[in-house]
Amino acid sequence: MEMIVTENLSKSFPTPDGPDKYAVRDLNLRIEEGEIYGLLGPNGAGKTTTLRMLSGLVTPTAGTARLAGYDVAAQPFEVKRILGFLTANTGLYQRLTPRELLAYFGELHLMTRARARRRAEEIIDWLDMADFADLRCGSLSTGQRQRVNIGRVLVADPPILIMDEPTLGLDVLSNRTILEFIRRAGRSGKTIIVSTHYLDEAESLCDRIGLLHRGSIVAEGSLDELRQQTGEQRLSSIFLDLVGADPVPPIAGAGVPIA
Amino acid sequence: MSFQHRVRTVYVKELVDILRDRRTLIAMIVVPIVLYPLLMIGSLQAIAIQGEHLKSQQVLVGVLNDEAVADLARLVTEDAQYVAALAPEMKDDEGGDVEPGLGESLRARKYASVEDLRAAVQDRSIQLGLVFDGPVSTDPHVSNRIQPYYDKEDPPSVYAYMRFKAMIERANERIRRLRLEERNLPPTLTRPFVLAPTDLSSPPSVLGQILPLVLVLMTITGAIYPAIDLTAGERERGTLETLMVCPVPIIDLISGKFLVVTTIAILGAALNLASVCVTVYFGGLNAVVAGGGGLPVGQLLLILLCLIPFAVLMSAIMLAVCSYARTFKEAQNYVTPVILAVLIPGGIAAMPATRLEGTMLVVPVGNMVLLARELLLGAHVSWVALATVLLSTTIYAAAAVAVAAKVFGKESVVFADSASLRSTFDRRLIRPAPRPSFTMAFLLVSLLYPTWFFIQSALGEKSGGDARGVLHGTALWMPLFFLVIPYAVLRYWKVDVAETFRLRPPPARYVVAALLVGVSAWIPATQLVAVLKSLTGASAALAEQEQALAEALRTMPVWMILMIIAVIPGTCEELLFRGFLLSGLAGVARKWPAIIACGVIFGVFHYMLIRVPITAAIGVVLALLVWQSRSIWPAVLAHVLHNGLGCLISIDPTLQGALGITEEAMGADRLPARLVLIGTLIFTAGVLLAWWPVGRASPGSRSADALDVSKPAVAESS
Repeated sequence: MEMIVTENLSKSFPTPDGPDKYAVRDLNLRIEEGEIYGLLGPNGAGKTTTLRMLSGLVTPTAGTARLAGYDVAAQPFEVKRILGFLTANTGLYQRLTPRELLAYFGELHLMTRARARRRAEEIIDWLDMADFADLRCGSLSTGQRQRVNIGRVLVADPPILIMDEPTLGLDVLSNRTILEFIRRAGRSGKTIIVSTHYLDEAESLCDRIGLLHRGSIVAEGSLDELRQQTGEQRLSSIFLDLVGADPVPPIAGAGVPIA
Repeated sequence: MSFQHRVRTVYVKELVDILRDRRTLIAMIVVPIVLYPLLMIGSLQAIAIQGEHLKSQQVLVGVLNDEAVADLARLVTEDAQYVAALAPEMKDDEGGDVEPGLGESLRARKYASVEDLRAAVQDRSIQLGLVFDGPVSTDPHVSNRIQPYYDKEDPPSVYAYMRFKAMIERANERIRRLRLEERNLPPTLTRPFVLAPTDLSSPPSVLGQILPLVLVLMTITGAIYPAIDLTAGERERGTLETLMVCPVPIIDLISGKFLVVTTIAILGAALNLASVCVTVYFGGLNAVVAGGGGLPVGQLLLILLCLIPFAVLMSAIMLAVCSYARTFKEAQNYVTPVILAVLIPGGIAAMPATRLEGTMLVVPVGNMVLLARELLLGAHVSWVALATVLLSTTIYAAAAVAVAAKVFGKESVVFADSASLRSTFDRRLIRPAPRPSFTMAFLLVSLLYPTWFFIQSALGEKSGGDARGVLHGTALWMPLFFLVIPYAVLRYWKVDVAETFRLRPPPARYVVAALLVGVSAWIPATQLVAVLKSLTGASAALAEQEQALAEALRTMPVWMILMIIAVIPGTCEELLFRGFLLSGLAGVARKWPAIIACGVIFGVFHYMLIRVPITAAIGVVLALLVWQSRSIWPAVLAHVLHNGLGCLISIDPTLQGALGITEEAMGADRLPARLVLIGTLIFTAGVLLAWWPVGRASPGSRSADALDVSKPAVAESS
């Protein structure tokens, strides 16, 4: 079953002068249940906007997106019930404890209070958070915070996970926590769409990869398929090959080096 | 999970969160606990220092004639001897010093009349005015009445009065002792001297003057920190996204947050009030602060109750403003001008000469400062004034909450993709929309509410009670405020004007319905007004107003009456309420909630409380006409007919005669039973014709119900 489907999904912004600026243009994605899909591209390629449109945080200006059959624009709450959203700079409530925070998000995912508390206990056990479950989030280490964040995503046990650069700026240990989590979630049958601009990460994680450039997909497929298409071995070379004569696209601004 | 449950979840979490913050606790508890004692002790010391200074100062006393000068001089001399002789005995209970008599520092000045004397006290050229009821008599059966005039706001005057009072009390005591010693005179209960003091100060007490403003300011201050923390703070810390991907409508989130801010603001106000009471009570400052009357505890509780809608308003405003900000710092920058804007009406209201009447009743913030002052001073506040203050405050609060909800969920604000304020006001970034957002419509009507009230009051004042002036002015200004300004707003934010005002030809059926409603609605309306008047007790002022209006109308030609009473208000009000407002409501509410809300807002907009239910009911019928016909014109027709007919019949005896209404019955709002029956039937037929889905039920009613709700509202404008 296709869990994530977009049709001509577009987001444009009006500009003071001249035509609208497109962040994402006519994006068509089809992601199967249980698949880990990597959305790759430099800064400004439209990864974040795409993922925000999929989670209903941003309204598309054209096109549709469906998650597990629910239309994101018409059924935003049904969609939000079945997705977990995580980014590297997602924050925690500093003055709540992980236990309270997990229970709060449980309730926000429409659980009763008792059910939300039980679920928080399960997550604390599962992610081995007992040591710090009653400290304030503000006093936790980065790694512990990442675990709380993962716990938050898992509270409602969503079948779809949307992750926007989840490892950006993390240290090696926290990074490993996140990657391990994605792999485990993938094995347990969740559908995952993850954006990154670390190509090696995508290589090791994803079943399929879509290369996003200036708001459009320029190539899509498994790593092998992409290699065949371009004749290049390394993903970074593949990417450079695809975007052609424009290795550091001007849209990326200062341009974070790819790879 | 219900709305209440979700809001409560957010509320409990946010309250715990904010109360765990040290900064909140400091602002809420430590500041009031420390601030007021410090302020009070400071002012107490200032008063004490002043008192010392006053003792050595000369006292100028005004009297009316030479006898009074002589009597006063004798009293002063005798008092000085008495005090000197009995000094050890005269220590008061607390062992303090004896309040000195006027003694040598006294200088008397003569005035020709009581009026001059009073004026002299008021302009502070003398400290005390004394009016004796005649030469002082030593007859033991006679009480000598003395009327002292002083100014409680002028410390030298208060001090002079206190010294004089102490002297008179001693004189009473002295003479009574003398009489007892002499035995041959009966120890009569008649006091030799009786004082009947008059305070000539204009602002009656420090408490009444300062406290309302302080309370209002502290309520605002209480709302600021949580408002910033729960909006911009959340954004800055990166938790907003996690909240927005939860399957919870934004209005639930913002409602929960809003209730927390309100709670903190009210708690802050209560703590401030409590701290004031404790400081005043234990500081022994009762007399100084409350003007001798003691703290009016009951009134303070009432003020706290009135502060609740105010806290609601300020919390909503702060939340709306802070929702625009992406960082704490940015939010603080936005808050500063808001506080200044609030201080202006607050400051005006705090001025002694400002009264709680007319426009001040609906001036945001100002009306609350005034209401608190009137209550503190124990002044009589009519229920109409109280209701107007609370109602208008509630309306503003609702508008502010709507703005906050709109802004809070705005993409451009949640994500720092583009400048948030710019995307609302920069015309080049605004996308065209078929109809206005609810926020835009409601905010416009809310802003028009006090503005229109002000214009009407100003017109009334300018024409000096001449109803004609008010009518002409209204006819002149109404198109500007009800049509031109909404039109300009629509054009600026690129909203489809024809769609918003529903300027399309109506199906014939609704024209018929409008005719039926228009010719008959005045009959049930008149009956209902009569019922309401009998329930609330007829107001003489209202009757007088109606009388003046009828008189003014009788002097006008019929065409002018129809223009001023029917055509202009009918068209303007329909386009604003059933056009602009209903279009905005259609974006957020289903058919009936939208229609009813439109009617109620229309009713409240008419300021006259007694007519609110009827106006609201008519508003509902008119909104129904517009919703069903998808055209404004039936409602305009019905409105114009209703106003015109109702007005002409009430002033024209020939018409009344034709309908079988006697003049007397008209005055009492009583119509003949047959007329009422027929009128009500026609009215009901009209409403049913508009309401009932006749014939092509499914496409007709469905498409009317839809009202193009599928098209997105103007998300970018408000």
